[in-house]
Amino acid sequence: MKVLVAVKRVIDYNVKIRVKADNTGVETANVKMSMNPFDEIAVEEAIRMKEKGAATEVIAFSAGPAQCQETIRTALAMGADRGVLVQTDAELQPLAVAKLLKAVVDKEQPGLVIVGKQAIDDDSNQTGQMLAALLGWSVGTFANKLNVADGSVEVKREVDGGLENIKIKMPAVITTDLRLNEPRYASLPNIMKAKKKPIETLAPDALGVDVAPRLKTLKVEEPPKRKAGIKVKTVAELVEKLRNEAGVI
Amino acid sequence: MSDFVEKLRAIVGDKGLITDEQGKHPYVTDWRESFVGNALAVVRPANTREVADVVRLCAAEKVSVVPQGGNTGLVGGGIPQEKGREIVLSLNRMTRITDIDPIGYTMTVEAGVILKTIQETAAAHDRLFPLSLAAEGSCSIGGNLSTNAGGVQVLHYGNARQLVLGLEVVTPQGEIWNGLRALKKDNTGYDLRDLYLGAEGTLGIITRAVLKLWPKPKDVATAWVAVPSPEAAVALLSGAHAASEDNVTSCELMGRQGIDLVLQHIPGATDPLSGRHDWYVLFEWSSTRARREGANAGGLREKMEAYLGEAMEQGLVLDATIAQNETQARALWALRENHTEASKKEGPSVKHDISVAVSKIPAFVTEGLAAMRKALPECRPVTFGHVGDGNLHFNCQAPAGWDKARFLPHAHAVNAAVYDLVVSYGGSISAEHGIGLLKVDELAHYRSKVEIDTMRTIKRALDPQNLMNPGKIVRV
Ligand SMILES: Cc1cc2nc3c(=O)[nH]c(=O)nc-3n(C[C@H](O)[C@H](O)[C@H](O)COP(=O)(O)OP(=O)(O)OC[C@H]3O[C@@H](n4cnc5c(N)ncnc54)[C@H](O)[C@@H]3O)c2cc1C
Ligand SMILES: Cc1cc2nc3c(=O)[nH]c(=O)nc-3n(C[C@H](O)[C@H](O)[C@H](O)COP(=O)(O)OP(=O)(O)OC[C@H]3O[C@@H](n4cnc5c(N)ncnc54)[C@H](O)[C@@H]3O)c2cc1C
Repeated sequence: MKVLVAVKRVIDYNVKIRVKADNTGVETANVKMSMNPFDEIAVEEAIRMKEKGAATEVIAFSAGPAQCQETIRTALAMGADRGVLVQTDAELQPLAVAKLLKAVVDKEQPGLVIVGKQAIDDDSNQTGQMLAALLGWSVGTFANKLNVADGSVEVKREVDGGLENIKIKMPAVITTDLRLNEPRYASLPNIMKAKKKPIETLAPDALGVDVAPRLKTLKVEEPPKRKAGIKVKTVAELVEKLRNEAGVI
Repeated sequence: MSDFVEKLRAIVGDKGLITDEQGKHPYVTDWRESFVGNALAVVRPANTREVADVVRLCAAEKVSVVPQGGNTGLVGGGIPQEKGREIVLSLNRMTRITDIDPIGYTMTVEAGVILKTIQETAAAHDRLFPLSLAAEGSCSIGGNLSTNAGGVQVLHYGNARQLVLGLEVVTPQGEIWNGLRALKKDNTGYDLRDLYLGAEGTLGIITRAVLKLWPKPKDVATAWVAVPSPEAAVALLSGAHAASEDNVTSCELMGRQGIDLVLQHIPGATDPLSGRHDWYVLFEWSSTRARREGANAGGLREKMEAYLGEAMEQGLVLDATIAQNETQARALWALRENHTEASKKEGPSVKHDISVAVSKIPAFVTEGLAAMRKALPECRPVTFGHVGDGNLHFNCQAPAGWDKARFLPHAHAVNAAVYDLVVSYGGSISAEHGIGLLKVDELAHYRSKVEIDTMRTIKRALDPQNLMNPGKIVRV
């Protein structure tokens, strides 16, 4: 069974995000970029499946500019076998990515597609679900634990208020949650090997996908700043303020 | 006595004065809880003027003054002695950054500003203040300058001494010396600034400083490398200077014992490599040149991969990982920085903050481990530190299950074994933590008479009443 994992190039989790002065987006010049953390978890899970013999090949997919090669290389250094880059400088929204993924799925015929539950830049939480709908496949979102057996996957899902166990038929789409696993460090020998692993580059046109955005961003703004607090002298004063100023009790 | 306290109150107000035992406790106990002293009061002035007034009052009343910053020092320098009439003068209310000049690459700060705040302020202006050490979230710049602190980037940027241009100091007489000169060149007689730097508060109180800034690195590569021996670590570093185009900013060595303590005591710590190895190096290369994008993409990470790959073929490297993102880089650093904390959680230890020439590190480690084991066969050596500066924390953890009472009687023999060897290597018995109360006897023993006498002469000349942090560094 082949496993396809999606890896997105995003602003590094630890970077302090700054909104551009003209409110059209966030500053990306000279900003450290890394793999979306949920996608690292997806790669790790796929590699573990291969190590356990449940998967035969792990393919890392990314869509975006040429620099996404680096993100795919990271996946290859962790242990993925080869990469597919759909190269475009266009703005990509979840629907476009889902369609590109579908085109690659049609070509590669994987038994499982594992993607992050969301990317930490746009926080859309849509790509996995849209892909499953386009393919007509089962979907297990927010996976906390996976078990592949006899043509189906048991998924422990993180839901409001606890965990839910479901069993879905393969082929299937899985979206990863934070506690699914702890991604490994890429070892130096694997980093060196990854340099020789193949990355196929495709264009959206060649896959017959129109990636034109369907949504228009009007404006990007900083969240409102928290106002400084004050110190109260007594409990009575606190209660008074909560009641009359904040209106919460 | 209460008269004296009231006079203090008149200077610093209620906000600046702590006299109850419970309130004083954290100020009279050191970070490792090895020293507990006594203070008439803890005084927290709000500005230089108040510091000077307090010192003048103390000079008149013959009360000693113990300056204190973040109280993270590891040699008891900021802790009052058990006997005597002393106050702790804490700078922890003097936390203003009074000027930042990104064009001239300087920042002017009060002594109580926390090191991390200085780093963050520099970063917000696209600049770097390179002093960096595990206590950076708690220690103050005044303490850093007074101990001439080192840390993890000395290799590239120098000790605290090299990162400062000017100082403002309150003398033991309560006078204010304004040496806040933002000058790179200033050959005007004796260098008073250099005298106060590293003086551990024995010659005066640093109240403000002009710090030097650097351009902020735009490309950083961090690696965790298993090496067969300290010898391999030193060889790896030696070649890295050229391979990185002189961009090695940190090179830390760690033995396996310390890693095991961190994995055991620090929640969330994991081993980045699959096998167990005896020695590890944490390598960081930083450049102010951003990574190249596009067709010819690359930067320090690629250089590091190539260099470590070659070193692996030569057997200098057994295994390694290079951080793929900032989260991994921080996790690797946490493994190194949590050594001190993990050792404290494990139990008692004796610490040797030593330095020898970098090239002599391998031989020193071999001989030193043997000497330590000879002095106390059951001891558990924990070796880690700034190998790029020739500085190791060549520590000895108490044997498993031993408490302080059982362990401390052996400390002297272990210390003597290590320090005798250090001195025979032409090294230093205190590379970055200072002398404080902890090493006064050792300093007097290992340094020449002329050196100690010269220090005493300086101390007596500047502080004839011996009221400024007495009993630290040298006894007069
Ligand atoms: C053409 C010219 C160009 C110069 N350019 C520069 C420049 O670019 N930058 C700069 O900094 N200076 C410059 N100088 C000044 C001078 O050359 C330097 O200060 C030089 O370092 C002095 O060295 P010297 O051996 O000639 O010292 P001397 O003139 O012999 O002595 C200088 C001082 O040092 C003391 N001294 C000398 N040797 C010792 C010792 N071993 N121990 C203790 N004290 C000692 C002397 O008592 C005296 O006070 C220049 C001078 C000239 C003539
Ligand atoms: C976990 C940990 C890791 C550490 N790592 C390192 C390291 O890598 N490198 C290193 O060099 N040190 C290290 N240290 C030691 C210590 O943190 C540093 O020496 C630090 O610079 C002390 O700063 P502080 O503000 O806490 O000083 P304090 O502990 O408050 O004081 C230290 C000394 O300076 C004097 N002093 C403080 N403020 C002033 C002032 N304004 N004027 C005059 N004298 C003053 C005190 O009297 C005392 O003698 C470490 C400590 C810990 C706990």
